[in-house]
Amino acid sequence: MFTRARRPLPETLERLAVAVAVTEPRNRALHPRSRLMRRLGNALAVLPAYQTIPAHADAPPAFTEVGLRYSRYSEDSLGADKWIFGSRGRYDIDITQFWIEGPIGANWSVALDIQNDYQTGASPWFVGTQQNGEPGVIMSGASIEDNRLEVGVTTRYFWADGNAGFTASHSDEDDYAATALAMDASWNTDDDSRTWSASLSSSEDTLTPTQGAIPVFVEREELDTQSAYFGVSQILSRTAITKVGLSYTYSEGYLSDPYKLFDARPETHERVALSLGYRQFFIVPDASLQMDYRYYGDSWGIDSHTVELGWAQNLSSHLITPYLRYYSQRQADFYTVIADTNARYYADDYRLSSFGALTIGARWAVALGDQWTLQLEAERYETDASWSLYSGAEAPALVNFWRGTVSLTWRYD
Amino acid sequence: MMGGPACIVIDTAKRPFDNYEPLLDALLAKLTCLETRYSRFRTDSLISTINRRAGSGIQTEIDTEMSTLLNFAGELWAASDGLFDITSGVLRKAWDFQRGGNASPTQLAECLPKVGWDLVEYKNDAIYLPLQGMQIDLGGIVKEYAADCVAASIREAGITSALIELAGDVVVIGGQGNGKPWQIGIRDPNSSGSLLTLSLQDAAVATSGNYARTIKHNGRALSHFLNPRTGWPVNGPITVSVLDQRCLTAGAIATVACLKTDSHAQAWLEEAGLPWLMMKSCGALIDTLTNPVSQRESLTSLQTPQLSH
Repeated sequence: MFTRARRPLPETLERLAVAVAVTEPRNRALHPRSRLMRRLGNALAVLPAYQTIPAHADAPPAFTEVGLRYSRYSEDSLGADKWIFGSRGRYDIDITQFWIEGPIGANWSVALDIQNDYQTGASPWFVGTQQNGEPGVIMSGASIEDNRLEVGVTTRYFWADGNAGFTASHSDEDDYAATALAMDASWNTDDDSRTWSASLSSSEDTLTPTQGAIPVFVEREELDTQSAYFGVSQILSRTAITKVGLSYTYSEGYLSDPYKLFDARPETHERVALSLGYRQFFIVPDASLQMDYRYYGDSWGIDSHTVELGWAQNLSSHLITPYLRYYSQRQADFYTVIADTNARYYADDYRLSSFGALTIGARWAVALGDQWTLQLEAERYETDASWSLYSGAEAPALVNFWRGTVSLTWRYD
Repeated sequence: MMGGPACIVIDTAKRPFDNYEPLLDALLAKLTCLETRYSRFRTDSLISTINRRAGSGIQTEIDTEMSTLLNFAGELWAASDGLFDITSGVLRKAWDFQRGGNASPTQLAECLPKVGWDLVEYKNDAIYLPLQGMQIDLGGIVKEYAADCVAASIREAGITSALIELAGDVVVIGGQGNGKPWQIGIRDPNSSGSLLTLSLQDAAVATSGNYARTIKHNGRALSHFLNPRTGWPVNGPITVSVLDQRCLTAGAIATVACLKTDSHAQAWLEEAGLPWLMMKSCGALIDTLTNPVSQRESLTSLQTPQLSH
């Protein structure tokens, strides 16, 4: 399995992003500050006069940052009423990430990201019919173990009005290898109230499925993916910022899941996504409201909408962010609860079905002195076909899961 | 305004702007509001209310702006090992600034126990000075804060090219309308000319100096900067100018430097890591603005100070 879960962008610890709304796109743009100036600047962050940071040059990060992050993703077992055969236990994934990023000279930065995913458990093999006539899941039997290691290097150049980065990464696991290159750039308008950003990426993946607990009929396949993104963020006022982004992704090659018995997907896959974000900072409670919406549509007939609401509350050196996310998806054209193998394309993968999902979670970050930050995050994801805005029969393998994360970041001048 | 002349220049060559009146009204209102709140010379100001209630048992409620400025003053107090102390104004009673008077050791002994930010009972929403006769004075930071507020309002109005000068402290927004940086002179305390001229874009420069007011004591001219621990004038730099994005932080760093001896002032400025210029007590000029290496670093990191001789 190939799961991309790169580390999040490093959060600024300048008063834990208290001026969240308006300085967010500028976090990296602050010129290097001494510890004394950071200390004094932090004391002022809440004042409106300092929430529109004067226009200034983009500059490499002022610090070298080293981070370690561990996430545990744990799927609930399959319900007995949905199960026909095999292991009812599903996936657990341990994700460990390490990164280091620092300035090189006056105009460059370099970052190294390493991520390891260790995955155990079973996955749905195919959907059949139970004795009571209801659809049920045949699981992959014995537990699968897999390990994925991804290494990425990013170099970034900063100039007066923007910055540009180049990333090369490689991911390897028993049955999957991926090499990706990406370029991105962002630039600011004269008054620094608007930031444009764009990126291009390309990856070449090779699948060599392992023969294990279930028969696999694929020896080696390839997949190429190209993606483009264009976005703009606009400061609306001292305390509000909005962001719009549009992405397009095209994949060509083997897109089916080799570990599913009945899975034949088209050889091409086009996706578009439109994302909207809004942040409103409130001075008196020292907090910000975070609202995000994302539309996704693809050439397989899937449409989805995601709405997320969050509240980032500063409390002294703590930042607590509870959030709620709703997701609704329309099924792929070729999805059926039980795969129709007479069709040209077919799949019974629950991820292609119509469903709705709710995620509730919270992030807690605390600055430990000037240099260390501890972050904890936990979320619960639950899904149900009836929560979807779209019609479609429920896939019996719909999954609920827990995810927990702990990370520690160290910054030094 | 704020203890000196105020000058605002808006350059519309690059981006037209014709909505001056509402903007100037708003700026004037903001400055008047700050003066009304923080001036120790106005008996109806918030500062005077706090000072009047010293030792009375009555605390004074404060809002976010006031508490943030007090937090900032507290951070500066801690960072400067107590040299920057907004409670030190009471020492003025022992030194007659207006007439160049003398300090009486008796008066100093009376005043010194009332000095110390650590004595102040302060929460985020209220402040109380526990000793009768204690005073706080935000005069050391409010002028610079006012300059930043004016700059923020001008930026918010969509103006990308402006210069604000408030009693000697300067904030520039963008460059001039013709694309060239603003030319800002640093006053020479020994003449009416400039020590040097800075080419600035999007920056603030604040100057603190002992030349403006001095105390004469036993025939000697002494600084008006008083050490809050001893109550005596500091024999420190004649003038210090500091560049930063914010006028308030630039001014704070410059003021603390003037509260130190020459060598300690230099160490403090280096710790702050901002571009600076200092005329030492002997009259010698040192800085990180004319030094080629520092200048290059400044250019790349701050994108502001370019020196033109």
